[in-house]
Amino acid sequence: MRMGEKSVATGQSALAGFGLAAMAAARIACGLRGVARARRGALLVPDAKTTVLAAKRLNTAAGVLAASVLTDSAVEHYRGGFHNKAMITPLVTASLSLAVSIHGNADDEPVAHEVRDAVYFLSGLTGLIGTGFHIYNVGKRTGGFSWQNLFYAAPMGAPAALTLSGMTGFLAERVREARPGTAPTIAGLLAGRLVGLLTSLGLFGTVAEAGLLHFRGSFQHKAMYIPVTVPPVTAALLAAAAIGPRKRNLFWARTWLRLTAIIGVAGAGFHTRGVARQMGGWRNWTQNLLSGPPIPAPPSFTGLALAGLAALGLLEDLAE
Amino acid sequence: MSERYPNYDVLAKRWSPSWNEITRHVIERRLAVPREPVFFDKSEWETLCAVCDRIMPQPMDRPPVPLAAYVDQKITSRHLDGYRYAELPPQGEAWKRGLAALDAEAQDAHGGHFHTLDGAQQDALLHRMQQGELHGPAWGDMPCKPFFEHRVVADITHAYYGHPTAWNEIGFGGPASPRGYVRLKLDRRDPWEAVEDQPGNDAAEKNRHVV
Amino acid sequence: MLSDPFSAPRAKDGRAPDVFRVGGWVPMREFSDDDVVDFVIVGTGAGGGPLLAGLAESGFSVVGFDAGAYFRPLEDFASDELEQDKLYWTDERVIDGANPIVMGGKNSGKAVGGSTVHFAMVSLRFRPEWFKSRSQLGYGADWPLDWREMWGYYRQVEEALCISGPVSYPWGPKRPPYPYREHELNGAADILARGAEAMGYKWTPTPMATLSAPRGKAPPCVYRGFCRFGCSTNAKQSQLVTFIPRALKAGAEIRDLAMVGRVEVGRDGRATGVHYIREGKWRFQRARNVVVAGYAIETPRLLLASATDRFPDGLANSSGLLGKNLMTQSNQAVFGTMKEEVRWNKAPPSLTITEHWNYEDRKDFFGGYCWMAQGPLPIEWVTIQTTSRGLWGQQLRDEMEKYNHAVGLKMVGEMLPDERNRVTLADDLDENGLRVARVTYNWGDNDKALINHALDQMQTSLELTGAKDVFRQENDTNHLAGTARMGFDRETSVVNSDCRSWDVPNLWICDGSVFPTTGGVNPSLTISAIAMRTADRIKALARSGQL
Repeated sequence: MRMGEKSVATGQSALAGFGLAAMAAARIACGLRGVARARRGALLVPDAKTTVLAAKRLNTAAGVLAASVLTDSAVEHYRGGFHNKAMITPLVTASLSLAVSIHGNADDEPVAHEVRDAVYFLSGLTGLIGTGFHIYNVGKRTGGFSWQNLFYAAPMGAPAALTLSGMTGFLAERVREARPGTAPTIAGLLAGRLVGLLTSLGLFGTVAEAGLLHFRGSFQHKAMYIPVTVPPVTAALLAAAAIGPRKRNLFWARTWLRLTAIIGVAGAGFHTRGVARQMGGWRNWTQNLLSGPPIPAPPSFTGLALAGLAALGLLEDLAE
Repeated sequence: MSERYPNYDVLAKRWSPSWNEITRHVIERRLAVPREPVFFDKSEWETLCAVCDRIMPQPMDRPPVPLAAYVDQKITSRHLDGYRYAELPPQGEAWKRGLAALDAEAQDAHGGHFHTLDGAQQDALLHRMQQGELHGPAWGDMPCKPFFEHRVVADITHAYYGHPTAWNEIGFGGPASPRGYVRLKLDRRDPWEAVEDQPGNDAAEKNRHVV
Repeated sequence: MLSDPFSAPRAKDGRAPDVFRVGGWVPMREFSDDDVVDFVIVGTGAGGGPLLAGLAESGFSVVGFDAGAYFRPLEDFASDELEQDKLYWTDERVIDGANPIVMGGKNSGKAVGGSTVHFAMVSLRFRPEWFKSRSQLGYGADWPLDWREMWGYYRQVEEALCISGPVSYPWGPKRPPYPYREHELNGAADILARGAEAMGYKWTPTPMATLSAPRGKAPPCVYRGFCRFGCSTNAKQSQLVTFIPRALKAGAEIRDLAMVGRVEVGRDGRATGVHYIREGKWRFQRARNVVVAGYAIETPRLLLASATDRFPDGLANSSGLLGKNLMTQSNQAVFGTMKEEVRWNKAPPSLTITEHWNYEDRKDFFGGYCWMAQGPLPIEWVTIQTTSRGLWGQQLRDEMEKYNHAVGLKMVGEMLPDERNRVTLADDLDENGLRVARVTYNWGDNDKALINHALDQMQTSLELTGAKDVFRQENDTNHLAGTARMGFDRETSVVNSDCRSWDVPNLWICDGSVFPTTGGVNPSLTISAIAMRTADRIKALARSGQL
């Protein structure tokens, strides 16, 4: 049953590789418009257009995460010399995840797509296996789980971004296929709550990863404190929104999520400046892109923030 | 050509981020060392060249590093070590006396100048010098053993391993500024490092592209 | 445009090089020779540098002299061992004794910033008991310093030099985490770690005076491995890029290419200034106080050469100990060949260390030692091969070809003070007409016992990692100390705990010469800690009118 009129947000920007900033900005704008439209009454019954819009937001989030993982793992695994053949896997999987996310973002059908589902599932799995590999890599080095290996061996939290991409995308499909007249649920839980909670956990995890590496960098620049101070608040607010009563005011959660999305982009800017600041600057890029701060890493905050905003949208638009 | 690192050439990185301006300047000067002696006279020079050939034998398939020229230049440019063993005179005097004494030993043992002896005979004399067994009057109060270790071997081997040809031979990364190294672990190399020849890894081809 | 740091002094005309900017300058206050400055400091290294900064920041007028050049690391430093000899004291010194000490790059720098311009950046604290070696450990001599006070000064130096080190340090009293985090270990460092673990010993990433993250205008280390030949990126936190710029900012003057030849003493037995030669002319700088910080060879050389009728045995030498008790540290090593490619020249040479035998007293010799990873460049490596194994000819070339598979462990071992080991004046004259130093050294029985123990330990450790063709480097030393020892009274020492000489109240000595014992760790951090303490003590003495 189709309910009400909803114009699909104009910000249906094409997801093209590194158009992360444009994408994020556009999606935030979409979110704004979608929410404004949704606040028409106390009880809203979802229609197909609303669910598809929510799904598309999640596809976008999944895509941003995938793009971040693709670039980051490409650089880092290149640095590792692809010495284990399996190191090519996340590049392949993240590429597929990015591709299907673009596809999903352009798809108006309120049905889950088999291929997208499969790729997202594969992404989730690859991320888990990658985490296993990374933990093994840290543990087997001399010193085991020492600060040295936490700093310089395979980052244990990094593959999780791929799992988060897969999970977000998987949730996108579940939301998309939710029957009109019902609230999308996954495994019996309200989709908005589940997405919100998982995203919140994802944020905490990314905070830990950024915190560890910024600790390694001795917080030599004040801005390095931002990813360990702002996103934890965001994650807490999002978790509270996900768990709490539906009618609560989500203004603060939304604001901090937008801020976090911007931080992801700003972080990439800071890291770019950081690469330039290394010895030899851009002229020495063959060293500095590898040994300087990773430019593709901060946008994973943006991806998670987008997923969080999508979760808020689900919580607001779709009734219990 | 180095067998272990075929086709590897440190000089190929001259304009890469691995070399800075002063390094280029320094290595250019090093490669332009005058080939004719300034400090040593003809007979000392002949002996010195022969000694260099034994201390650091060089392959025939590439231009040799002019070791004797570097020894000469070290003295004429007054490049000191920062210390002098009490039993040795300053480097110039030590070399002159030592070369003359070695030549005298050669005359004594084989009836000919050092540089006319065959390799085995030359090596034998050098071994005896290393053991401290040469005591001819030409040595004066300079013992031959420390002369061998601290002048002959030191000056000649330093000249060799301060030269890009030697760096290629041992696969040394060479100059590294501003670009240093990224992959620091065992069995890991950066693309601008020499590839060691292993069965089937096509090192000769890969080293052509190391820059 | 390459300018030559040796052709003319760079620190003059109201400015000094800005080491952080290519071709840049910083303003420098200048004094005239006739100004009676509060302090002249001879030598701008690990001892002179912090004192220059500390005194200038306290408002004293200070001039620092250095015989060496004022380098601009970003422009002057080539990636070349032979060229970079220019950082060392290559002027002649005569060496003798049963175990002559090889000078030059092993222990003697010549530059603004002193030996820290070429040092290996290993920044370790003394074991507390070493400050009371005689009363607590039964050998050597006690220091007139309390370890607890030194702990505070160590911290200050570590912060000033932004030491990059482990979060927790395995030995000694608890210390806070270092200012910056530890560096990534290279393959050579990993092998030391494996070898230590195989022996059941703790090991640690070495606290290093080189940056693991940006600091101000300095970028982090690029792991180029030419550390002991001058850091061309300014990641290395030598005096040249830390305390000297601070000193300049606080109003100190630096005079590079200025060799001090004599400390002048007046009829009242007080120092009046220093004679120095700069740009070919001898000049005299007047001063209220003179600090000699030329390290353990040049300091006694200068003070011996400054003898007068009143002080015929040299200045500050009523004890007769000036120049005596010279100590170096044993620097023997074991080397081997790995199946894997090690390429040990990538990264600073000593990224891991074990101080096990500095803190373990169940041994039948006095003193301690540590050992650390290694990464010699080609000329240094051929020197080790030829002097340790007597190789030359094709055999040597064949061994050298294995360069990228070489691995090694090198010790820094305590040698005991012995009055036979000393610095005196030889008859040879240098290019300025000054008598050169004669450095006489003999290893004692305890030194030999410690060395043998260490070689056995290191060999076992290295072999346990799978290294093959292991050989020993039996003769090597590094660092210097002891020739103007600090003590409790004028009969048994040259200076007191404030580094003030007993004999000449306005003559101070602030460098490694003042060490009564040398410990089993690299000395630079301790030298700088003493210098910072001395700056504080001088400030306090000035306030109470005792200067």
